[in-house]
Amino acid sequence: MIAGNTSKDSAEADNSPVKKKNPLYEASTQYRNWRYSPERLEAVRTQLNAAAVAKIRNTFEADEPGSSANVAFLSASEEHLLVKLYVSKIPQLCGHFHFPEEVEATAITYLKRFYLKNTVMDWHPKNVMLTTLFLATKTTNNPISLEAYTSNIPKTSASDVLDLEFLVAQSLGFEFAVWHAHRALWGIWLDLQSLTDLPEDLRPQDIYEIALKHVRASRFTDAELIYTPSQIALTCLSIASPLLSQRWAASKTASSSISEPLSELLKDTLGAINAMVTQNGHPPDIESVREVDRRLKLCKNPEKVVGSKAYLARIAEEERLSERKRNKKAEDVRRALGEGADPFGSDLSDKEQAKRLAELDDDD
Amino acid sequence: MDAVEKANAERQKRWAKDQKVGEGTYAVVYRGREAVNQRKVAIKKIKVGQFKDGLDMSAIREVKYLRELHHQNIIELLDVFSSKTNLNLVLEFLDSDLEMIIKDRTLVFLPADIKSWMAMTFRGLEFCHRNFVLHRDLKPNNLLIASDGQLKIADFGLARDFADPGYKMTCQVITRWYRPPELLYGSRYYSTAVDVWSVGCIFAELMLRTPYLPGETDMDQLKTIFRALGTPTEEDWPGHTKLPDYVPVGQFPRTPLRDLFTAATADALNLLGKCLIYEPRKRISARDALHHPYFFALPYPSHPSKLPKVSTQTPSRPLEEVDGNVDMNASGPGVKAAAPNRLKRKLTSPGDELSGRPLARRLDFTQKRV
Repeated sequence: MIAGNTSKDSAEADNSPVKKKNPLYEASTQYRNWRYSPERLEAVRTQLNAAAVAKIRNTFEADEPGSSANVAFLSASEEHLLVKLYVSKIPQLCGHFHFPEEVEATAITYLKRFYLKNTVMDWHPKNVMLTTLFLATKTTNNPISLEAYTSNIPKTSASDVLDLEFLVAQSLGFEFAVWHAHRALWGIWLDLQSLTDLPEDLRPQDIYEIALKHVRASRFTDAELIYTPSQIALTCLSIASPLLSQRWAASKTASSSISEPLSELLKDTLGAINAMVTQNGHPPDIESVREVDRRLKLCKNPEKVVGSKAYLARIAEEERLSERKRNKKAEDVRRALGEGADPFGSDLSDKEQAKRLAELDDDD
Repeated sequence: MDAVEKANAERQKRWAKDQKVGEGTYAVVYRGREAVNQRKVAIKKIKVGQFKDGLDMSAIREVKYLRELHHQNIIELLDVFSSKTNLNLVLEFLDSDLEMIIKDRTLVFLPADIKSWMAMTFRGLEFCHRNFVLHRDLKPNNLLIASDGQLKIADFGLARDFADPGYKMTCQVITRWYRPPELLYGSRYYSTAVDVWSVGCIFAELMLRTPYLPGETDMDQLKTIFRALGTPTEEDWPGHTKLPDYVPVGQFPRTPLRDLFTAATADALNLLGKCLIYEPRKRISARDALHHPYFFALPYPSHPSKLPKVSTQTPSRPLEEVDGNVDMNASGPGVKAAAPNRLKRKLTSPGDELSGRPLARRLDFTQKRV
């Protein structure tokens, strides 16, 4: 950008009585922390996978040297395939429970975000999926009791769901609010109802329904990690009816200063999303996933397998560390109380000190 | 350690917990510091292990909304981390609240002071509403005051997104004295207007220095409202007799606000009246309130730094209150006994969508001085 331009822009901004407000969406945690370029997304998954393989390989070797040589670890794309399978289970479960669409979409987003921070070789997506869905019922204000939840899912105990809840919440960065494409589409649909002069044979209600199906298909893809909900929604509308999407876009730019038609401006973006949705917007082939899942049994992190040697070693190490912490704390308190203190009581500041120590959090 | 656990441990290290300043059945509050710069913070530790349904709803709501809402007049959630089976919320440190200021008899409020608190409250509320969030528990002790005088809306444990039209919400929200008549009549479809009614009650309380509509029961609350503002007619509030819990509670004449608020300006009473309009659709919005002539007329709002503060001999109440998880009705050692007048003054916030869940929500720290 030319320097002169910059100063002019800022001068204008300073003089204008009303400061330009950023769109609400840009203040969201979704915009700030969960947007990736396709390349970045690929890199994140590859690095995560490489780090996981290296770590698990070490664990195998520590247990029995040479034992990792013949293990076929999962690749990043194989991990992704498995996650995708479990993404496809969420709508089925939601249908069973009659959960609102908000719950379904949120759980799917959580599941995808979880595996941008974790590997399936540590945490199998089956339980993570159950946890993300349960968490989503609460974060979207549609809570049900854990009992009602688990009793309706075969072979599922309360601990299958709750044990991972903290890890899931942590992995999400405790960022629970999600902006969804189906809400954006709903907004467009409300706008469409006030468009006039539509061709007689155009049936917006039917088109909306078709567009919504495409939005649902988009949940099988990475679209939401790359594009905004409104971009995805508009793409889905344009797949259902190019004419209607153009009419809507024109109505949006009519009153603004944007000179180029919106459809032209967004052409590349809409094209890319369109390709994603139409090519990848479906559950993965079950046979290929089965193969991945079979291999996962052999390469999963032994530290996470309850009862295994590596698991026990890890627990023992954790216990040793917290024991040391507890001892140190107790020692601090003793020292503060003072050994050989005056039988008639130590002076006030010592007492204060001891009291303060006693009030320290036992988690630290 | 997994990457996620490692990241969590690093977060935890950023914050140092100092002394405990309050404890309830489900949560403990500590005074703390940011390790690098010694900035004072409040750390609220929620004992998650206690809930049979996992992370509890009010903790989830608080984290969900405070993670998204960043505004000068909304309490800032600085960080969240877990320790063992506890959830820790790191909040900015705020040393008093509007209730303490209202009750401090040594303080004199100027009209400009009240205007300043009202402006900050409406700014924070407008931001919530602009982000499609209903607060649903506004009252003076949820409006916290920073050391620089800035007012911050706190306690999002009952907050929710607006529902779509036609989608039911619970009417068991908002502490009784600040609860609007549509909720008392059991309306399950309501709007941002519920929060505005609460702000109206707070506005009146700032002028009166005593709660404006202190009903003793839900039924008495309606009577108290109508005694103050007159029983609504069908014309005032079309359709209100069709609300689920409608009951006639007697005919009271409408008395002019002027009779009670003798010192208020016409602008102030006009705005107050618009916050307390019975018909929710006609009640003023937070946005329009900010454009009300009251805020543009003399005297201009006091600068926050010039506002009255609780007198220094009263040790400042530590921190934001624990919300969400404290059983007020429990008589065990978990909840510190409050002075009788204070206990009476503090109403338990109502429950939420999860009916039957013990969701009394207040902890009083005033008796616990460190």
